[in-house]
Amino acid sequence: MNTTVANAADTIAHRIAATIDPLFTLIDTWRDSLETRLAVVDEPSAAELDPAIAALVRPALDHSSALITGAGFVAAPGFLHDAPWHLAWWLSGTNTFRAAAGGGVRRLDAESDPDAEQFRDYTTLEWWRTPARTGTWHLTGPYVDYLCTDDYTVTITTPVMVDGEMAGVVGIDAYVVRLERELLPVLRESGHPCTLVNASGRIVASTDSRHATGALLRLDGLASVLAPLHEHQGQAVASVLPGGQFVVPCGDTTLALVFATA
Amino acid sequence: MPQATSRSDATRAVVFSPLEGAGRAELVEQRLTDAIVAGVLRDGERLPSESELAKSLGVAVVTAREALVALRDKGLVLTRRGRDGGSFVTHDRDASMRMIDARVRALSRIELRDLSLHYAAIAGMAAEVAADRASDDDLASLVEIDARAELGSPGGARRAMGRFQLEVAAVSQSPRLVHEELRLQAESGPLLWMCLREQAYRDRSRQARVEVIEAVRAVDPAGARRATVDHIASATEWLIDEKARLESPEPNPQPAPDAEDRKG
Repeated sequence: MNTTVANAADTIAHRIAATIDPLFTLIDTWRDSLETRLAVVDEPSAAELDPAIAALVRPALDHSSALITGAGFVAAPGFLHDAPWHLAWWLSGTNTFRAAAGGGVRRLDAESDPDAEQFRDYTTLEWWRTPARTGTWHLTGPYVDYLCTDDYTVTITTPVMVDGEMAGVVGIDAYVVRLERELLPVLRESGHPCTLVNASGRIVASTDSRHATGALLRLDGLASVLAPLHEHQGQAVASVLPGGQFVVPCGDTTLALVFATA
Repeated sequence: MPQATSRSDATRAVVFSPLEGAGRAELVEQRLTDAIVAGVLRDGERLPSESELAKSLGVAVVTAREALVALRDKGLVLTRRGRDGGSFVTHDRDASMRMIDARVRALSRIELRDLSLHYAAIAGMAAEVAADRASDDDLASLVEIDARAELGSPGGARRAMGRFQLEVAAVSQSPRLVHEELRLQAESGPLLWMCLREQAYRDRSRQARVEVIEAVRAVDPAGARRATVDHIASATEWLIDEKARLESPEPNPQPAPDAEDRKG
């Protein structure tokens, strides 16, 4: 393997991780704060919790230039005694979903009546299902979030635990368009054709115009290299694919950089 | 050269044409009518107030009021005064079927075929791209939607159809195709899927889903497109035949083989 390429890939992978890590740190802070708060509450209620969550997430949404376009808490069904299904989710002023004139941070109006036509059981969705299974945070997407905000989104969620039970998830949404704007210059700096993929091999951004964001990168051996990232099992390590491409995990983000060496 | 000139004139003309074809009140009226006919807004459901409606649709309050008056005249909405007052959807299944029949009569064959072609362009492309971009999780959710389909009634078959097509569009990873799919479901869905009044076509819709799922599993974009487009074409043929039946001069055009089936 070419050491120069390996070093370049390593540097870029670190810089990608450094761009995204602050989001994980923020979500961890929210989770810790909520877990501390909920540990001492006997009968948690939406009425009491919602203002606290709003206060927690609003500062991150007020920055109109930030990556974050939505943030909040989604409760496990039955956890809150006054709201069996509950989303406490806020959208930033730059979020275009049903934005009223004037903008500003506003709450997502989600259907929480299980008998209603528009209701969707959110525990079947990837951003709930995967953290519930692995017990740790998960990056969902890029995906078209047609249930909530109608936009092309990456969602990061992590479980909130109370007395060993999952009380819900906290998380953030980011527009893929903005993510690409931040990440593409970093990818280009390497001077090599390179592609950033999620743990399912879905393309997040690429310097190669033939690799569209949202498409699956189909390379021999890529799926097995990414498998540990997908399930948060073991340590993913830099590897060389049979086709000669170099795959480097981006820190703990579960994203990986694929470097063409040819 | 004359060709090219006239084309650029035409595209210029589009730039400076009025932003909406119809008046805004008509647009609001059509949007709500479609939603009521499609069953998205249900019989007895309370509509948002004039001012809420105006705010969420981004129109003036008078425009929203005008649209509500038109809906009242059409008999789709009832306004009650007092403390628990407001505008309520009044639309049962029979009224819904009469309205759809009236729309089929009002549109020409050319317009019905064009509507079908537009929808096939969107749904077919979505299926083609989805087959290339589906992860194992995506495939699992398509299978799940199909497994949950209730084919016993036209409504159940329609909902399954809508949910499946929407998921296919989402799997294609295109926000525009998702948006267009949703818009066309509201606009063309009630007409295009009229054939689901018949059990044979409900079974056909299941078959089409299975074919799309198999094509997605096999990463066969052309196959996924073909299954989708063929299904829409067969629904359109039924629709054109139905138009002929509705327009037939005899008071009782020949009864369909499964007449009671059509009430659902």
